[in-house]
Amino acid sequence: MALLLHERAMETGSEELVRLTLLEGGAAPRLVDALIPKRPLEPGEQYRFHFDMTKCIGCRSCEVACNEQNGNPTDIKWRRLGELEGGTYPQTHRSYLSMGCNHCLSADCLHGCPVDAYTKDPVTGIVLHSAEACIGCQYCVWNCPYSVPQFNPERGVVGKCDMCQGRLLDGLEPACVNACPENAIQIEIVNKEEWRKNYAAAESPGMPPAGQTISTTRITLPHDPSSWLERVDTGSIQPEHAHPSLIVMTTAMQAVFGTLAVLWLSDALDTISLTLLFALTAVALNISVFHLGRPAYAWRALKMWRRSWLSREVLCFGLLFGATAMCVAASWAASLGIHPAAAFVGPLATAAVLFGLCGTVASACIYFVRARPAWNTVHTPIDFLLSAGLIGNAMAAAMQTPGAALAGLAARHGLPIHIAHLKSHALPQAILAAAWCANQGIRAFRLWRSENFESRASFNLLRSENMSWKFIISIFCAVVSIITFAGGVPSLAVFASLATVLFGRYLFFVTVVPLSMALTFLKGKSAHGRAA
Amino acid sequence: MSEYATQSRTSLLGWLKRKAGIDTARERYAYGTDPVFGYISESRIADTWTKTTCGYCSVGCGMLVGTRKGKPVATRGNPGHPVNRGKLCPKGLSEHHILGAPGRATTPMLRTGGRGTPLVPVSWEQALGAMVERIGGLQTRYGKQTLGVIGTGQLVTEEFYTLGKLVQLGFGTNNYDGNTTLCMASAVSGYKLSFGSDGPPGAYADLESADVVLLIGANIADNHPILCDRLRKNPKQKLIVADPRVTKTVMMADIHLPLQPRTDIALLNGIAHILLRDGLVKREYIDAHVEGFEEFCEFVASFTPESVSRTTGLGVDLIEQVAHLYGTAKAAFIGWTMGVNHSTQGSVTVAAINNLSLLTGNIGHAGAAPFSITGQCNAMGTRESGFTSSMPGYRKFDSADDRRELAALWNVDEERLPRARGLAYPDIIEAAVTGRVKALWFIATNPAVSFPNYKLLAQALTTAEFVVVQDGFYPTPTSEFADLVLPAAIWGEKEGTYTNSERRISKVNAFAAPPGEARPDFDIFLDLAKRLGVKNEIFLGWTSTHDAWLEWQRVSAGRLCDYSSFTWQQLEEEGGAQWGGERLYADGEFPTETGRAKLHCVPWLPFQEQPNREYDLVLNTGRTVEHWHTRTKTGAVPILNAMVPNAWLEMNPADAEQRSLRQHDRVTIASRRSEVVNVELRITGIVAPGQVFMPFHFAEQNSNLVTLGGYDPISREPNFKQCAVRVERTAGHR
Repeated sequence: MALLLHERAMETGSEELVRLTLLEGGAAPRLVDALIPKRPLEPGEQYRFHFDMTKCIGCRSCEVACNEQNGNPTDIKWRRLGELEGGTYPQTHRSYLSMGCNHCLSADCLHGCPVDAYTKDPVTGIVLHSAEACIGCQYCVWNCPYSVPQFNPERGVVGKCDMCQGRLLDGLEPACVNACPENAIQIEIVNKEEWRKNYAAAESPGMPPAGQTISTTRITLPHDPSSWLERVDTGSIQPEHAHPSLIVMTTAMQAVFGTLAVLWLSDALDTISLTLLFALTAVALNISVFHLGRPAYAWRALKMWRRSWLSREVLCFGLLFGATAMCVAASWAASLGIHPAAAFVGPLATAAVLFGLCGTVASACIYFVRARPAWNTVHTPIDFLLSAGLIGNAMAAAMQTPGAALAGLAARHGLPIHIAHLKSHALPQAILAAAWCANQGIRAFRLWRSENFESRASFNLLRSENMSWKFIISIFCAVVSIITFAGGVPSLAVFASLATVLFGRYLFFVTVVPLSMALTFLKGKSAHGRAA
Repeated sequence: MSEYATQSRTSLLGWLKRKAGIDTARERYAYGTDPVFGYISESRIADTWTKTTCGYCSVGCGMLVGTRKGKPVATRGNPGHPVNRGKLCPKGLSEHHILGAPGRATTPMLRTGGRGTPLVPVSWEQALGAMVERIGGLQTRYGKQTLGVIGTGQLVTEEFYTLGKLVQLGFGTNNYDGNTTLCMASAVSGYKLSFGSDGPPGAYADLESADVVLLIGANIADNHPILCDRLRKNPKQKLIVADPRVTKTVMMADIHLPLQPRTDIALLNGIAHILLRDGLVKREYIDAHVEGFEEFCEFVASFTPESVSRTTGLGVDLIEQVAHLYGTAKAAFIGWTMGVNHSTQGSVTVAAINNLSLLTGNIGHAGAAPFSITGQCNAMGTRESGFTSSMPGYRKFDSADDRRELAALWNVDEERLPRARGLAYPDIIEAAVTGRVKALWFIATNPAVSFPNYKLLAQALTTAEFVVVQDGFYPTPTSEFADLVLPAAIWGEKEGTYTNSERRISKVNAFAAPPGEARPDFDIFLDLAKRLGVKNEIFLGWTSTHDAWLEWQRVSAGRLCDYSSFTWQQLEEEGGAQWGGERLYADGEFPTETGRAKLHCVPWLPFQEQPNREYDLVLNTGRTVEHWHTRTKTGAVPILNAMVPNAWLEMNPADAEQRSLRQHDRVTIASRRSEVVNVELRITGIVAPGQVFMPFHFAEQNSNLVTLGGYDPISREPNFKQCAVRVERTAGHR
């Protein structure tokens, strides 16, 4: 694909393509920089932004120009300004960052996407996002260490900076480049292999380490090596979105898997419990699609199962749903006298348990997001598995009562249904509850003592006035689940363990502090588009 | 709620499609190709581009506003305009949003039931009838001077010219001033003191060609960002910024002078001392064009570097270095804004700046000027054509010749022209408190946020018997006090000219119709003249602002600010033109009686309200790039308001620690006059220990509740900077 930009550059000897804004007004020609490249890309090269911190005066024209260019609402900014400060008065240093997308060599937004909405343009290297392909799962929002992709609730899809590819193709500089009164933003060419070996020029105060995704943006820093620049936006970290549909979905699916596993291990699976679990799975999966900006296209999430943990989760839970459905059908068929069906119940149940295990692990792996350090720990899968056990153990026991009642009802109508009897003990519940609490406690401790800022900030959110009581309630409910279980009221233990996990999961979502570029001191409206 | 969302709510099916994600608002987010500016959001593609001049600050950027079917959709810098060469600041880039913004005034409103009853919509007939009748009644009882009029720097020059005649000849009061007294009056007075006339002598091009640029109390990176680019053209140039705060502009500087607040006079005199001591003055220029030299030499003898160092807190070496840089420069430029003007000593500080230019001959040639960077888009237009601190065309009230000449041009009896300036803005407000002024008419200004010492102002507005507020927006904090509200057209709905800081007259064009019944200020003025029975006398045959332009050209012909040689068309096509040419005073001839400029002996005095134990911090006020003045406009532009939605207070970490305050705490700022509550605290090394800073844009956290009611004795400009305050955590907030 030859860019028009290149063709024109070749034809015209390139000079016309260079925005010589500095030449006007009698400037010295040697100060003139090209704002967009003069020559075509060669193999192994791509475009990138260059940001010159020594030129930026923090005027924010780039942000406004970007929003005007893309017709975005006020609270979605594909280019954002960050403030940096350091030193002691009067040797105080101030600088600004202006960043769009870094069009990374190893883009995490792209790797995680379950629907392949992202492409790294083979010619320009621009990381492109397709609003048509996107289903609004916002996994890229979590994955990007710069918080570049932003969800637009009005559209139900994510959007991001595309380096104004449409303008570049016409030989025009991107809107931010065009608007900057100081020519602090430019487009230039980078050799990808060389950059992969040495990307030190991408590092800057106020930016997460460039190595994670290999940001291509080159940043020219102030000369003064004594200046110690720090971000100024860390004093008021706001809780993240709670994603209620995800809280419900993960909790419910872990309950299903846990219950299935406990009943299967105790060899106590029967028609009634399978039917109830099937119903719960159906509800949970239906709720989960409402996390998406475009629920009608939920099925597309299966597409990238080879690469994306989100796809794998959807796949495993989909298979769990299928296996459970067939297992329920087989079990009812057997009860209704179609005896050969009974042979399928066991293997199908085993398959369902395996799919549940895989799904729960895949689900946890989704949260192994480097850009969200508080999630990216071993405590996440442990939490998910222990949550499954905690609720599952209580729910398996609690199902005995309605199971017996329903079976009795069916029997009175001449339908003998086999009921498995579960011998339940309080000890496993106590062990699971204690382990769950220990996991949360150790996680909190490790966040507190962490070396990275975001983890410590997560801990600070966790212990804040609004959050700490929820943490205490979750622990309290875990204890209640033991007491009620031991007291022979497993149904109350179910509620208590559900409350434990729901509170814990709520905190899991809201107290995560993502990596991000430095922003401004005043928060204003949220820079991230948000939806449930 | 967005337009799109409103539409999709109209049908259940549409709503379902949106919720299911089948409809992703593709059309609203589609891209297209603008024939002029290329690939862009479809929503920003225009069918017509209109050349105009930005309506915010005095830099005077040329812009193109795109309209589609008459609706403004995009703003671009005009690449052919010599001021900004295609660039705009964020306010300019989003300026098209203000025309359709919510909160525009659309109908005249009158308190028909008197004070204490609500404002109700009335017809223009009723509104202007009531205005003429009420003001006339008060004038009959208390004399013509009982009307006080406060104008603005926001109208087009043609409207200023019309308003001046209407107020002075029609309403017959000279108690008329502009809100420009809140920002530029001291520059005007200072220029008059030194050079015999107002008029900034330099040009923006001087910022490029100067070897040394000294900015005093000027944070152009926040307030005039489009000028910053000029500073990086000359690699050998030294930029020196004198400011007690480490502003964005300081970060561009080669040398920062973090002087104690309001010690600039000592610094300027100290530089003069070194220039004289080391023979860095230009004797031949002084001998030929300057008077008062001997007296001045004697006066600055006591401003030794050591004593200046003690006063300013700057090191002796630094003062020596700066003086030598200034004195040895081939061309040296001094620019200033509100750090100088917002002071009880503003006028004489300007004179002290002018002293340095005169001593070194740094005036009238490329790169050399003492240059006031103005505030509002058309502050200059009102300085020249208005009828407030001087008669139109920089004519002096006390000059018989000037009065005779103007009376002849206007064909009116000379006796009808006032012999002296009426009350200045702050004095009109004080006269309203004491009852000397009983009717007030505010045009395109919002004193309830912008005037110092709010409590006194509120007293004035409630004591006055009839208050008229003419504005493009309703409600505003000031219209709360109004008996009558007149809805006016704003920038983009009117045609005329603006004059910028470098005396460049640029064309302003209309590209949208005023909302509802709002009318251009010019039409309101003509209508009032008709009702007063003076239309045929003072505005004979006038129908448009162009008629006013033609008369103003005749009136200004031959004056320093001579507009007579330009046509509207030429101004529009060429990106404006500077009256007086690129620079004034190139020949060393000054419009004083002797033709020589004057050196002034300016004593340094500490600022008025020094901190004490109870009020232990010095409050400075200022601006931020995202907002314009009292936010009636920028507060209505969603992206700007979202960037900076509230005020903040900057405090040094040492002071915060002493008070056990934390980042983002909500604090109360109390002065002897009142207090501002619930201001977000920013702990930062930007400000010095002992000083705090807050922006003045916010009605919600109004810095003018605490600022001082102190005024410059010459210019009457308020001392918005430096007052003593106490800061503590606002009760109930952490």
